[in-house]
Amino acid sequence: MTHQKNDILQGTLALLVLKTLASNRRMHGYAITTHVQRVSADLLRVEEGSLYPALHRMEQQGWLRSEWGVTEKNREARFYSLTARGRKQLAREEYSWARLTEGVSRVLRCV
Amino acid sequence: MSWLRRLLGTFRPSKLHDDIDRELSFHLAERADQLRSEGASDAEATRRARKQFGNPVLQAERTRDVDIAHWVDAVLRNFRYAARAVARTPAFTATVLVTLAVGIGANTAVFSAIDAVILAPLPFPDGDRLVRVRQALEAETSIAPARLDDWHHLNSTFETLTGYYVEDVSDTTGTLPERVRRAVVAPHFLEVWGIAPALGRGFTEAEYRFAGSPAVLISDRYWRRRFGADPDVLGDVVRIERRSYSIVGVMPASFLFADRNVDLWWPYPADSPWVRNYAQNRELQWYTGIGRLKAGVTLDQARADLAVVQARLARDYPDTDAAIGVRIVPYKEVVIGAFRGSLWLLFGAVSVLLLIACTNIAALVLSRATQREHEVAVRFSLGASRAVVACHLLTETALLAFAGAAAGLLVAASASAAIVGLAPDLPRVHEIGISARILAYTMGSAVLVTLICGVFPAARSTRAASSLSRTGRTQVSTRHSLQWLLVGVQVALSVTLLAGAGLLLRSVEALSRVDPGFDPSRVLAFRLSGNWGETQDRDRLVRRIDVTLEELGALPGVESAATAWSLPGVPRQYQIEFELIEGRSDSEPPLVAEWRTVSPGYFNTLRIALVAGEVCRHPTDTRGTPEVMVNRSFADRYFRGRSVVGLHLNWEAASQTGRIVGVVSDARELGIDQDATPTVYACDSAPSPFPWFVVRTHGEPLASAGAIRLKLRELEPLRSVYDIAPLEERIGGAYAQNRLRTILLVLFAGTALSLACLGVYGTLSYVISLRRREVGLRLALGALRSDVIRQLVGQGVRVVGLAAICGLALSFAFTRVLSGMLYGVSPSDPVTLASALGIVLAVGSLAALIPAARATAVQPMRVLREE
Repeated sequence: MTHQKNDILQGTLALLVLKTLASNRRMHGYAITTHVQRVSADLLRVEEGSLYPALHRMEQQGWLRSEWGVTEKNREARFYSLTARGRKQLAREEYSWARLTEGVSRVLRCV
Repeated sequence: MSWLRRLLGTFRPSKLHDDIDRELSFHLAERADQLRSEGASDAEATRRARKQFGNPVLQAERTRDVDIAHWVDAVLRNFRYAARAVARTPAFTATVLVTLAVGIGANTAVFSAIDAVILAPLPFPDGDRLVRVRQALEAETSIAPARLDDWHHLNSTFETLTGYYVEDVSDTTGTLPERVRRAVVAPHFLEVWGIAPALGRGFTEAEYRFAGSPAVLISDRYWRRRFGADPDVLGDVVRIERRSYSIVGVMPASFLFADRNVDLWWPYPADSPWVRNYAQNRELQWYTGIGRLKAGVTLDQARADLAVVQARLARDYPDTDAAIGVRIVPYKEVVIGAFRGSLWLLFGAVSVLLLIACTNIAALVLSRATQREHEVAVRFSLGASRAVVACHLLTETALLAFAGAAAGLLVAASASAAIVGLAPDLPRVHEIGISARILAYTMGSAVLVTLICGVFPAARSTRAASSLSRTGRTQVSTRHSLQWLLVGVQVALSVTLLAGAGLLLRSVEALSRVDPGFDPSRVLAFRLSGNWGETQDRDRLVRRIDVTLEELGALPGVESAATAWSLPGVPRQYQIEFELIEGRSDSEPPLVAEWRTVSPGYFNTLRIALVAGEVCRHPTDTRGTPEVMVNRSFADRYFRGRSVVGLHLNWEAASQTGRIVGVVSDARELGIDQDATPTVYACDSAPSPFPWFVVRTHGEPLASAGAIRLKLRELEPLRSVYDIAPLEERIGGAYAQNRLRTILLVLFAGTALSLACLGVYGTLSYVISLRRREVGLRLALGALRSDVIRQLVGQGVRVVGLAAICGLALSFAFTRVLSGMLYGVSPSDPVTLASALGIVLAVGSLAALIPAARATAVQPMRVLREE
């Protein structure tokens, strides 16, 4: 736990959560943090304090739905899954992310 | 926004609270598990998990706020935005607020009256189980004490059955005698009401009996007035005429029975030796029955039950009870009486008024929304969804509606106070006020107003406005059909209200022109206290009243004096059937006539002319056949020109007989709005111990009041004079309800008309302001100013005309509701309807002319250069 972790860029948390839930049917909040961390090879770390407000906000916006369930360890947890609207939102965010990174890298290449 | 957070905390649902805590603690537990698996000790794992997570309380708060504040925030943001938008257009805001304050205020005021008088239960426990019970022979009458007692014991549907009668007696406790109204009550009186005295106790069994000490209950009002609300009043003495009664209790202020003027309740010992025979007389008409039904018993069951009881009594006492029936009416109906119709009528009128106000505001909002098309389009193009923009617009209307409702509540509060002043005779008037129910009603109307005024414009203005480019240009001409439809609705409804008000006005006017058949001018009416006990010695009672009449007639300034059971022209009905002793064939109609008891001087005093025969004389003793008079209607209807003088009549199941000695001209005794009906006058100067005195004076009647009072004081030092007023005022007072109803309806109709005019004016001004460019262009191209005006006004007048005709059709339906309240005018009176139509057309056209004339006054070039 000594190496440097990148805090997630403002506004990309939603994209990461949506993407994570798109590849897994349903997950609880803790699993989302570990998933992002693992898949990004520990490069990204989800700020735990902002995860839950974000999850609830996304639920309000109709991108996610949540339900209570039980983990393998027999603990009660709240599981999130993607809605149809969430899937559309993911497509939009992926597209704008691609444009953003492409734009940024073009600028970096050029200058 | 920490204050908001705290505010939210107060109504934060606990389920949400738990959910978030559970979710976060799960996270911490999982993290701790992971840290443990990486080799940390239990305590260390927990500590680090917490550290990594940050302050869990704060996290929970933040998460929760996302959930709750989501909509609260949206609503607050909308309200902030709406407040700014509303403040930017003060003229519009003020117009809407005033319109709503009047609309909602009037509506709430009338509703508060309806709520208190009609809807709210009577202020007695289970008040809906209280009924008034009376016996019916030919007419409905009071009940003989013995029979009431039988009914009480033999029935199976009443918890208790009691009775009362009211008399105006003279309170001689102080130095001057003063009239007090006393209710004489039968046993079980307080049990029926379910109300205990506020101070002291109710009557004991012994006090209803002869041997007990004379006891009274006094009213809260009397207690304050006479005893300065002294808590030690129990045991004090009240003197009524020559007897003393000790006070056993004080009733609460809310106990207003049998009417709000009753100050004393006294249990009459019906078994006292001097009235025993009298009180056992089953032909006596004494008590009005008041009963409390058992829980779950319907009126019909009670009626059937008492009918069975009475059938049994008819077998036991065939002479007196065979023909007697039972009449039961809910006590609430007795209290509310005829006011129900008037109140609902007014409520209908103010609801129409509110509807007009709503359509007016809807039109204003719509116009405003069109002016704001540009703004809406900008917001759409910035990505706002239709729902969000519609919500904004709706919030503006809601803000105005609630502010208007708050102002309306103030209007209603003062109007409620005004109702108490204007209609003191309204039953339960003191129960009217602003309660939680009224508050809820007002808020409900605000929500309704928002929906009616806001939804339409919000939906419409967010539908059309889609592109910025379209709204940049000034429209040359649009139809604005919705605006005109709203104006049309207002105009139509005002025609209806105006027609209704016009009909009531014409009734009042017709009523003032009517010839009542008697002359109420220069007549003073008053009463002199007495008590029913005096009827035990009829001769003495008659002598007393005759002496009083004689002395009054001899006063300077007095022409003549008479007594009557009830005043002429003040509605009161008592119809019975007579039999002709001389015989009458079965094919002829039964002799049904109004029964009135007057002294012989009555006809002269009231200028009711003698047509045939002579004026009746006094029954000097009780043995001779009493003399009666009939009116011309009676002679004409039942005897068609044959002489009736000298014929004999029987009444009250042949218990009484009289000889017709004369015929008088018709007088509208039953009320000046009712044609004279066949009437039989019994000549008796003492129809009751406290009859009405009518005194014809030479000059202004009230000028003689002082001399009359002085004379009566000298004659009857123990009696008090009360209800003294000119007869004309008494008759006027009987129609006060008509007048109030008319004034209010005229007021509402006037307001409605002004609102409708405002609607016509506002809508046309707005439409014209959009067409300024077109008007300028046409003027520049040489169009005649008068042509342009004619075209613009024409649009308004067409709508007004069409709507007015629709309103007229509506009036035909609406005025039918009024038919029972009209006098001398039919509900479809062409003159009234045509005037209403004319007024609306004239005022509506004028409202259209002003903006049209202003529009064509502009300089064409200036308008054209504007863009």
